[in-house]
Amino acid sequence: MRLRHAVAALALAALGCRGERAEPRTLRINLATEPPTLDWNLATDGVSIIAIQQLMRGLTKLGEDLRPEPDLAASWDVSADGRRYTFHLRPGVLWSDGAPLVAQQFVDSWQRLLAPATAAEYAYFLFGIRGARDYNGGKLADFAQVGVRAPDAATLEVELAAPLVYFPALVNFMVTFPIRRELVERFGERWTDPGNLVSLGPFTLEEWRHEYRLVLRANPRYWAGRPPLDRIDAYMVQEGSTSLVLFEQGLLDLVRIPPLEIRRYEGRPEYVRKPLLRGYYYGFNTRRPPFDDARVRRAFALAIDRSQFPPLLRGGEQAWSSWIPPGMPAANRELGLRFDPGKARALLAEAGVDPAQLAPVRIVFNSDQAHKLVAEQVQAFWRDNLGVRVELAPREWKVFLKELANDPPPVFRLGWGADFPDPDNFMNLFTSYSENNHTGWANPRYDALVEEAAREPDLARRQALYDRAQRILCEEDVPIVPLFVTGANFAVAPRVQGFVPSAMDLFFFEKVSTE
Amino acid sequence: MIRYALRRLLAGIAVLWVVATVTFALLRVVPGGPFDKERVLPPEIMRNLERRYALDASLGEQYVDYLRRLAHGDLGPSYKYVGRDVADILAEALPASLELGALAFALAAAGGIALGLAAGTRRDTAVDRAIGLASLVGVSAPRFVTGAALILAFGLALDWLPAGLWEGPLYAVLPALTLAALPLAYAAQLTRAQVVAVMGQDYVRTARALGVPEPRVRRRHVLRNALLAVLTYFGPLLATLLTGSFVVESIFAIPGIGRFFVTAVTNRDYPLVLGVTLVYAAMVVVANLAVDLAYAWVDPRIRVGAEKS
Amino acid sequence: MSGRGRLGLAIVLALALLALAGDRVSGYRFDAQDSARALEGPSRAHWFGCDALGRDLFARLSEGARISLLVAAGATGFAMLVGLAYGAVAGWLGGRTDAWLMRAVDAIYALPDVLVIVLLIEVLNGALGGLPDLWRRLAALALALGFTGFVGVSRLVRALVLQAREETWVEAARASGAAPARILLRHVLPNIAPPLLVSAAFQIPAAILAESTVSFIGLGIQPPFSSWGTLASDGFEAMRSYPHLILFPCLAIFSALLGFQLLGEELRARIDPRSRA
Repeated sequence: MRLRHAVAALALAALGCRGERAEPRTLRINLATEPPTLDWNLATDGVSIIAIQQLMRGLTKLGEDLRPEPDLAASWDVSADGRRYTFHLRPGVLWSDGAPLVAQQFVDSWQRLLAPATAAEYAYFLFGIRGARDYNGGKLADFAQVGVRAPDAATLEVELAAPLVYFPALVNFMVTFPIRRELVERFGERWTDPGNLVSLGPFTLEEWRHEYRLVLRANPRYWAGRPPLDRIDAYMVQEGSTSLVLFEQGLLDLVRIPPLEIRRYEGRPEYVRKPLLRGYYYGFNTRRPPFDDARVRRAFALAIDRSQFPPLLRGGEQAWSSWIPPGMPAANRELGLRFDPGKARALLAEAGVDPAQLAPVRIVFNSDQAHKLVAEQVQAFWRDNLGVRVELAPREWKVFLKELANDPPPVFRLGWGADFPDPDNFMNLFTSYSENNHTGWANPRYDALVEEAAREPDLARRQALYDRAQRILCEEDVPIVPLFVTGANFAVAPRVQGFVPSAMDLFFFEKVSTE
Repeated sequence: MIRYALRRLLAGIAVLWVVATVTFALLRVVPGGPFDKERVLPPEIMRNLERRYALDASLGEQYVDYLRRLAHGDLGPSYKYVGRDVADILAEALPASLELGALAFALAAAGGIALGLAAGTRRDTAVDRAIGLASLVGVSAPRFVTGAALILAFGLALDWLPAGLWEGPLYAVLPALTLAALPLAYAAQLTRAQVVAVMGQDYVRTARALGVPEPRVRRRHVLRNALLAVLTYFGPLLATLLTGSFVVESIFAIPGIGRFFVTAVTNRDYPLVLGVTLVYAAMVVVANLAVDLAYAWVDPRIRVGAEKS
Repeated sequence: MSGRGRLGLAIVLALALLALAGDRVSGYRFDAQDSARALEGPSRAHWFGCDALGRDLFARLSEGARISLLVAAGATGFAMLVGLAYGAVAGWLGGRTDAWLMRAVDAIYALPDVLVIVLLIEVLNGALGGLPDLWRRLAALALALGFTGFVGVSRLVRALVLQAREETWVEAARASGAAPARILLRHVLPNIAPPLLVSAAFQIPAAILAESTVSFIGLGIQPPFSSWGTLASDGFEAMRSYPHLILFPCLAIFSALLGFQLLGEELRARIDPRSRA
């Protein structure tokens, strides 16, 4: 008896009472999976950006109302014709190695992003700049001809091909962050290793134990002052239920709640939900049969009953049949294909596809409880409403991204969160030159509409242009099937103060402190 | 003894060489590798490979180069983790698996032998039946079942032990128990059977009849002979435990090499496949050697190397 | 039959019943959805409750029983047949053939189990591409698991055949000029059958264990089909809020392993009391 008590007491003492299980000023979050890269010119995904956003900042940042505010740029002017922007850098900003921030570092970064040899998937992000597209396409060899230059250390001049009213919001995004070219060249692929990585954000990279934990350390040189936290431990616990148990044990402070557990958390103080500017869609590889025929794609889209997803996932999802999400200007809930299984079957027949003869359709998705539930549901829809056999193929996130880039599967699942709060960010995703467009679909009419809308200052005309583009995207050609828009569902420990989730699904931990 | 150990070591190295050669051949034939004309690797991987290897040298030259690099511990770059070498990946992950595996092995071996001994020497008593039942339960539970049960009990309900991560000695308890449960139960069953068999032997009864005190009988005869049979099981078990378990490492979020045994294959990361195979083969060699030495220690009468294969 | 043997038999029969008639008894198809009752716990309508898509868990466990037992049977069959042939040839021929055959087996033995299984599953899934998804995966699983089992069986068979070869009646048969195959089949095999049967009896739970682990990892059967392992994996993700989802699959796996082992012990006690597998 006494031995058992002693053991229990020892165990309790060792693990500590729940309140004492955390070191002061340390935040422990769960990234859930290994970030594919910390190279901010090359990163494309929502996991990498969590870490990158703490390490680095850009010319502007987005306020709570999602309007651009000064960050590394203290102020900016725009020419009368809306084409020339002049950013005045904040004085006294230092990199973590003490070197000063200079405007040329932005030029270097944007050149690297656009350079054909880099093969960055987000290269198209800066195609609004004069000459950028030609440079990326290899038609322009001299970057000096591209519309960005640093006349002096504190000034960055940008010349756009056409006026883009949202340009200041655009430069909040990670691919436009400055780089230290000499370090990238010196260290090559290892420039993002701890010890090599030099950054200027609120935190620096102290340790990266792959597939396990990233450690970020407060940056005393951060221009806005040292953050209240000393340290962030970003773990990579892939099992959702394990991460939740760890949260409840007081070993993690911030986790995403797996869909099936959300109901249990509703009403509790730790639960934080935030609707996001984030769409969830299924994409087709339009280059390979059977999905090279638009009628087949429409049929598969018509066979999905989106209203089933919110009760299935319970995370504040909203069924949505068009692409621009609610909350974004120019969103239109009337567009898109509604559930109509009869019409779906008719279309398949018209396209000459016999469901019984069709080879099983493969849906590829990154492994996660929510994606699996959705995939199983879609599998059931296509089986019940079309008579088609469907196979499911889950993948690890990193592998999934590579597969999308190199060899897109017939049907894949993907989400898209806004990089800046303008519909262009959602719509130009599916242009023919966007490397984030994995469907292989190219429609010059769509491209033209999107480009025209990006330049159009009149809101009503912009809406009309986007409506026409969305019709092509969601009703006629249907290279993708938008399913719903998601919300973020977090469990936040009571010791964490100042955590404000953003509709852009970005995290700013310099505002966070722990009791 | 030393000569025997050396001979076994050489045999082990031969095995490693065979594995390495087979993988060299496979790398050049299998789809998805750098030599596959169809499915090209991502550009950054290809760049890396071209920089490090002369991919258009003759096959013989490539093979020699490959072996030379292996001898220096250079297992080449991973095909999936850009910019990282397989050797570094394994070196970073191996310690966690080694620590966890060693702890689990100690638990399984000590626990299994102790329980088996206790059951076998108290044959058909309540103790024996209880241990028998417990071991039957133990071998009937897959690791994820044991893991889930332990997390629910000690992590959630009692909140004594962490349900995952690898931050200190306390974090090893639940995963080690999960890893050790099945082998412990099986070892207990094996030991008990051996003990029962030995206890019925003539020489044991003779010793007792001659008045040798019971504990001495147990230690000298019963235990030793029982151990010999169980040791054969422990050899491969040690190698398996030291190289981690995918299930345990993913449930408990432990940064070991166990998950590479699965993910390296599903990712078609062939250099990593080779790397983990070599590590495992090396562990098997070491474990077998340890078992042989343990044999000799348990019963010095057995001349090591005298047994025929 | 001993009490334990009876228990084992009862469990195995119950599981066989579950596999054969489970969903008919419950009245639901394993893939029939009833979204309104998603995630409900056990009730009169759904004895084991429902999963996230509103599918009856009892029916899914019944389907799981079919799949898990089928894979285990296939793997065991493959391991026994191949192991028997391989070990018999090695043991009978002896000499250099035996040495090389056993060396090959040793080499396979030196490879990590998990890796070999995963590799084989991946290769076989590709090679068997022509088959429908479910059958392809079942075959790949059975062959991959059987492959790792045949090593042990071949060693056992070889040892037994070596022993049997020295028996006087076998020598007599050889002296009389009978063909080796005939001797093996008619004389040796019946004599070595008891330990082999016991070995087979223990292969089955080993195969069930391995299959459930592989499926738990996610490399086994894919939705909408389910094996006990995939059901356990789904349940693990929600075990905090909906413990019934993991409880019943784990019970099923556990019972299967327990039942088959009890049966194996009973078998061993009856037909081969001398040996220890």
